Amino acid sequence: MYIHYHNCIFPQQTALPGGLDTLLPADGNQLKAIEPSYDGVPPGLLRRMGKAVRMGTGTALPLLKDLRPDGIIIGTANGGMEDCIRFLNQIIDYDEGMLTPGNFVQSTPNAIAGQLGLMTRNQCYNITHVHRGLSFEQALLDAAMLSMEHPHRNYLVGAVDEIADYNYNIDLLGGWYKKHPQQNKDLYEANSPGSIAGEGAVMLVVNGQPEEAVARLRAIRSWHGTNPDDARTNIEAFLQQYTDGNIPLLITGENGDNRLLPYYETCEKLLPGSAVGRFKHMSGEYPTAAGIALWLTCRLFEGEALPHHFYKKGKENTAGPVLIYNTYKGEQHSLILLSKK
Amino acid sequence: MEKEQLKQQLKEQIIKFLNLTNVKPEDIKDDEPLFGEGLGLDSIDSIELIVLLSREYGINIQDPKEGRKILVNIDTMVDYIEQHRTK
Repeated sequence: MYIHYHNCIFPQQTALPGGLDTLLPADGNQLKAIEPSYDGVPPGLLRRMGKAVRMGTGTALPLLKDLRPDGIIIGTANGGMEDCIRFLNQIIDYDEGMLTPGNFVQSTPNAIAGQLGLMTRNQCYNITHVHRGLSFEQALLDAAMLSMEHPHRNYLVGAVDEIADYNYNIDLLGGWYKKHPQQNKDLYEANSPGSIAGEGAVMLVVNGQPEEAVARLRAIRSWHGTNPDDARTNIEAFLQQYTDGNIPLLITGENGDNRLLPYYETCEKLLPGSAVGRFKHMSGEYPTAAGIALWLTCRLFEGEALPHHFYKKGKENTAGPVLIYNTYKGEQHSLILLSKK
Repeated sequence: MEKEQLKQQLKEQIIKFLNLTNVKPEDIKDDEPLFGEGLGLDSIDSIELIVLLSREYGINIQDPKEGRKILVNIDTMVDYIEQHRTK
């Protein structure tokens, strides 16, 4: 499968060349997305949208100006969680009485793909994958299978998740976010459990045609399990099956949580000659954050130098294969192998 | 409550309920249509306004035909609220 167009909204500047060079800070252990003015979205629709739907549609619509995809495939773990909780609270506050429809309409995970279908009058394949920390990977897999079957068809693939008070507080209590104030610039030096929260939307237009493509998805693998030995086995098998061992750049989902570091170190040790990049100090941690790594890889393949704070070890600016390894809570793991052609 | 006070309160409630982030109370004219032209609200907004009347003023509109006569503009809504409010 080949990636032809991409767009992203996340907590750093994406519109300007070199915008990633300046790392924007977290606020209260949360990295919130920088939202554009959403010029292409009618104000009547925009005012009803929750943040996830706004980010998703706002990221996708610029890609769909001159393109009508044959499928809209979105990965999101939580969808419009903030509106969902607002709606549930209304049920309690108003004693199961009369409820307003807006929050309900916007709160389901498939509201993003649905809204995109409605706004672009697209009645093709429209699906949302909600596999928690592997939602985006499942959406990619779906698109890859469809692209193999119909190489000339275009598919919009996306990864979207928002910070909602509810899921932030639940994960904070669960120990997945740091309890002490943590600046994102020092995220990897914290040596403590938990990370910082993040959010964002990445959209890709893909098909099975290599001409003028930005990147090629060569392979993807995902698994569940908390055993680091399983991670080693899966990574080794993946490398053996899909690569010749030459991976100039490894991008990991290291997130400052010292409990997850052994997984990432395992991967790094298996690729001792690779440069290593990290991105969660820019995006924060969220279930579909792997989309950011893929988007950064596309920018790298287009010739844009990634910022110095991205690199943990070495520096890679060539068009060699890039491996992305991410784990969500040490339970869900994915490997994504990309190359320029 | 004075009629002008009620109008101001209703305008603020409409802005809040419908999330009209770029609209101020003074932008909404008392005799301006709420739907179509004027404020440009639509059918989903009409349900939000019916819920607003129920929650804030204890007015339950059961008949859609009745709703069409009430939700014309600020003047018609305020007249109805003054006559039928239970809280």
